[in-house]
Amino acid sequence: MAQAAAAAEKWPVVAIRDLHKSFGNLDVLKGISFSAREGEVVSLIGSSGSGKSTLLRCINMLEVPDSGTVTIDGEEISLRGSKPRRQIADENQIRRIRSELGMVFQSFNLWAHLTILENVMEAPLIVQRRPRGEVHEEALAMLAKVGIREKSDSYPAQLSGGQQQRAAIARALCINPRVMLFDEPTSALDPELEVEVLRVIKVLADEGRTMILVTHDMEFARSVSDRVIFLHQGLIEEEGTPDEVFGATKSTRLKQFLNAAHHQ
Amino acid sequence: MSDDFAFWLSYLTNGKHLTWYASFQFTVFAAAFGGTLAVVFGLIGATLKNSRFLPLRIIGTIYSSIVRGVPDVLFFLFFPLAFEQGVEWIIASQVCSPEMIAAQSAAWPPCKDANWFLGTPEYLVLASVSLGLVYGAFATNVIHGALRSVPQGQLEAARAYGMSANQVLWRVHIRQMWVYALPGLSNVWMLIIKATSLLSLLQIADIVLWADRLGAPNFLPAVGLVHGDWRWRYYLVLFVFYILVTWISEKGFDAIMRRAGRGILSEAP
Repeated sequence: MAQAAAAAEKWPVVAIRDLHKSFGNLDVLKGISFSAREGEVVSLIGSSGSGKSTLLRCINMLEVPDSGTVTIDGEEISLRGSKPRRQIADENQIRRIRSELGMVFQSFNLWAHLTILENVMEAPLIVQRRPRGEVHEEALAMLAKVGIREKSDSYPAQLSGGQQQRAAIARALCINPRVMLFDEPTSALDPELEVEVLRVIKVLADEGRTMILVTHDMEFARSVSDRVIFLHQGLIEEEGTPDEVFGATKSTRLKQFLNAAHHQ
Repeated sequence: MSDDFAFWLSYLTNGKHLTWYASFQFTVFAAAFGGTLAVVFGLIGATLKNSRFLPLRIIGTIYSSIVRGVPDVLFFLFFPLAFEQGVEWIIASQVCSPEMIAAQSAAWPPCKDANWFLGTPEYLVLASVSLGLVYGAFATNVIHGALRSVPQGQLEAARAYGMSANQVLWRVHIRQMWVYALPGLSNVWMLIIKATSLLSLLQIADIVLWADRLGAPNFLPAVGLVHGDWRWRYYLVLFVFYILVTWISEKGFDAIMRRAGRGILSEAP
């Protein structure tokens, strides 16, 4: 029993094996494997063009990898065909899996024609087909959690960037995601608005949610992550706990990168 | 004075004038039905143009580029006639025996039983379909452009949250497309309204035909038609009618735009 419990604890919610992806002649991912276990916060860092956003987008198949597998909660996402026409094999499967992955985009991507509340309720109602009353209550609770309950009847364009991103986080939370995927959630924000979004993400991390976070913000990656992965030119260059990666850096490339990031 | 009033009242309410007033319904119907069809054909055409399959894409492109170039008057004459004769040709291939064909003296249809009589309602529907087809080609281009104006990120977000292709299309893509399409569609609508003045080409006794008849000089006191060439006065009434319709349409489009643009045409918080 104890063994079973330990195994369950370490159950990889996201498992990626030998992922390759190229755009035209440009090899963006050259064979990446990693996993995120239940309750783990994994940060992907690296310079622009290192492939970290592409890697994140392969997890919910917004980019279909050329080869390799993505497994969510033990279920491999089925793909067919081979490069360059590799595509999703089972529309129902990918929709079911996507409905459990809460993605937060760099540019928020809230639906402009819906109010904040409608944005948060859309996927639970339309995709998960949960009862309206329940969804409404939960949506308001999530908006309260990210601190913009009073904005629920506003449209996205009427909110500041930081408020929009917090609304997008509420939208991701309201689907009760197995994993939350953050694609540079603060890169489009002014520094003073970054703080409010980072605070929300920190709260979620401390709740023990499984999260994969692509970020430029080394300090934040260090404070929030259980594990940090440094990508360089489409490969994992270094991987470990924040203390190992930032405190006892082994790779020279990571040292250079951290130095450069530090001097920004 | 009261004699004058009585004369004008009876003049303007005589049977022919009442028929004229009633014929406004044809114009309104053709505009409303033709306009609806134009949007439907526009959506279909734009979907074809956006299709991943080359043959469909070619059909959509041919439709929007060829049909836009055909003069509406010509298409108006061509389409209902071609449709009618096409149907008669199909009927003829089923019902006409050689004896019946031999007995037929007219050039068309092949035999009397294959004749398809079209009255005003049928012509009206065919006219509306013609309007829909011609202006649907314009709407195709407008909607095609509008679909491309919707921010890609929002479509991506819809996919990322598990929406099906249809849900993405109808709940986000087409829903947001209207804001970008409406200015162009309102232009198309104005053109459709103008083109409704062509209904008389299809033997429909519409407002233009009646204005022409009633305004023509006649001196038949017995039926109360007692004037010289008054056509310009009747045409003036039509001017006022079309200006009125234009004015109402603009109000209508403003209202639709406000509704469709909520949140997108960002107002101050």
